[in-house]
Amino acid sequence: MSLDVLIHYAPSLIGGFGVTVLCWSLGGALGIALGFVIALMFRLRIAPLSWTLRVFVEVFRGTPFLVQLFLLYAGGPYVGLRLSATAAGVIGLGVYSSAYFAEIFRAGFAAVPVGQIEAAMSVGMAPRDTLLRVTLPAALIAATPPIVNMLVVLSKETVVLSIITVPELMYQMQTMAAETFTAFDSIFAMAAFYWLLVEATSRLGRRLEARVTAFLQEEARPA
Amino acid sequence: MSVPMIEIRGLRKRFGAHEVLCGVDLEIDASEVVCLIGPSGSGKSTLLRCVNFLESYDAGEVRIAGRLIGYEKGPDEIRRPMAARHLREMRREIGMVFQHFNLWPHMSALRNVAEPLRRVRGLAHAEADERAMAMLTRVGLADKAHAYPSRLSGGQQQRVAIARALAMQPNVMLFDEPTSALDPELVGEVLEAIKSLAAEGMTMLIVTHEMGFAAHVAKRIAFIDEGRIIDDGPPRRVLHESPEPRVRQFFQTYHDRNSF
Amino acid sequence: MHPEVILHSFGYLAQAAGVTLAISLAGILLGFVIGAGVCVAGTSRRIWAARLAGVYVSVFRGVPLLVLLLFIYYFLAEFGLDVPALVAAIGGLALSSAAYQTEILRGALNAVPKGQAEAAVALGFTRVEIWRRILLPQALRISIPPLINEFILLLKASSLVSVVGIAELTRVSMNIATMTYRPLEAYVGAALFYLAINLVLAGFGGLAERRLAEGAR
Repeated sequence: MSLDVLIHYAPSLIGGFGVTVLCWSLGGALGIALGFVIALMFRLRIAPLSWTLRVFVEVFRGTPFLVQLFLLYAGGPYVGLRLSATAAGVIGLGVYSSAYFAEIFRAGFAAVPVGQIEAAMSVGMAPRDTLLRVTLPAALIAATPPIVNMLVVLSKETVVLSIITVPELMYQMQTMAAETFTAFDSIFAMAAFYWLLVEATSRLGRRLEARVTAFLQEEARPA
Repeated sequence: MSVPMIEIRGLRKRFGAHEVLCGVDLEIDASEVVCLIGPSGSGKSTLLRCVNFLESYDAGEVRIAGRLIGYEKGPDEIRRPMAARHLREMRREIGMVFQHFNLWPHMSALRNVAEPLRRVRGLAHAEADERAMAMLTRVGLADKAHAYPSRLSGGQQQRVAIARALAMQPNVMLFDEPTSALDPELVGEVLEAIKSLAAEGMTMLIVTHEMGFAAHVAKRIAFIDEGRIIDDGPPRRVLHESPEPRVRQFFQTYHDRNSF
Repeated sequence: MHPEVILHSFGYLAQAAGVTLAISLAGILLGFVIGAGVCVAGTSRRIWAARLAGVYVSVFRGVPLLVLLLFIYYFLAEFGLDVPALVAAIGGLALSSAAYQTEILRGALNAVPKGQAEAAVALGFTRVEIWRRILLPQALRISIPPLINEFILLLKASSLVSVVGIAELTRVSMNIATMTYRPLEAYVGAALFYLAINLVLAGFGGLAERRLAEGAR
């Protein structure tokens, strides 16, 4: 692949990357918000609600993302939901990841040592304050590594969006490959690019994790 | 005769099929220090936790300064669960120190102590911090006020936990094996802190294995075995001359290895 | 909604589900062989082997599966191989899964209590015997639940091989959708099959975990 080809397609590739980042961030934000709400609703312990949510989580964790996307994009119009490819991509990512984030938040809440809650109860703290000051901060700290991990996974899932013609990076690259007959080179470049991207984001993520979980170091230094 | 600070009558509790407390009677007057000693599985922690209703109980009564805790009796004399609001009110006046400290890891030592003052006693920010600082000074940790629990030794964490409970100015303090999770060389500083509380006249119920400590600080030792208190009296008598064979047997093995 | 569409195409979907299972099975088994190899390389005392293993894991966890699949497909086409689709599908799944299986196996090896190997050394076992008799059997037992989990993940990932034309569950449901103009029913049908398979697998996983816990006591 010559340099001129690359320069010619640079704008569309950069644009594609922009769409990738957009879908990833919006989808991720939607997933985290929805997942958090679901986890909170589980804590209400209202049997019919918990049961419904459980089914939701199991369905979206038990089926492939691609099938969910097709259902949304191709099947949507048949229930009155006409979405653009990008919109379907963002919502698809959001709903798909929300099932995983819900489990992550649930595990985070479960990881709060019961002793800390008992300490709050024993000074007579009201449930609202216990939740906001003790349970929630501890749960969020525990949930940070899996959340970072899931966001990295989500960044890789964005390539699936190209299958429903969302103009993200993979799609733009495939267009370029088709128009210039450089399939092999393009895919190779794509693979290399994603490898570097994921490696970089993973490292960044681990540093963020370390900062946030600094409180929970097991080692207590002697006085 | 004034009302006892803690009054336990005929307390019964079961976990599933297993009866853990089989009719416990115990009275603690104001400024008295009572140590609760017994083998594992005797129910001593469960008994302690019933006092501030962290565990519910099935029969009998627990009264704090005359008021029944955990349940309320209506005009019809029928017992029903206490309103959450009232339970929290009562818990404010009872301080508890746990075996594993239970400090909140995302808060500094100062904030651990100040948070209940702000949220439960409703103190303003500055006043809560001031009082918290005073408490930390009291337990000798003023210089560690802004340290996080993960940076403190076990003994220091437990002293912060004591400060946190003390800051609420409770009428009574409960200690659930406060030194059992500590390295031997850190036990002393925590026992010193508890001794100073006793010297100031705090009413305390302490579950502990530290016999030497109990011998010097407790006014009475209550020995619990299989859910029943089988001896209750001055440390001298319970530790060395108990009329109960089970008690003598328990302390005999201890005497053989130590002397106090 | 026309649920009878699912009923009519049940046969096709069931057959396609079989293809999905077969491909995923081939993928995970091949992935296990590769993963075990990379894992051993990772524990090697030769620096280049360990480094290579690290790079392998980094590359095949960093490159999205779809990109990998297409890469192998075009790579093979470039060199004129005869059945690019199937090879690309199983190869892609296997190479990707191997990267995750390496970590699973490594974790399982670490989970075997160090004291057991130490006791064996103290008793005079050779290195090979320690591996064969003590470390490997236990590591394999420990790794079964996470491997079942990996199989479930691989099964879902297999839906991507539809893009290289394999007639598995997703591809077949796409065809049904196009033929019957009923995408909703077609994809719900596929989803139901995936869920059913996953339910059974999750059941096995739970069973395996319980059996494992018993054995460990």
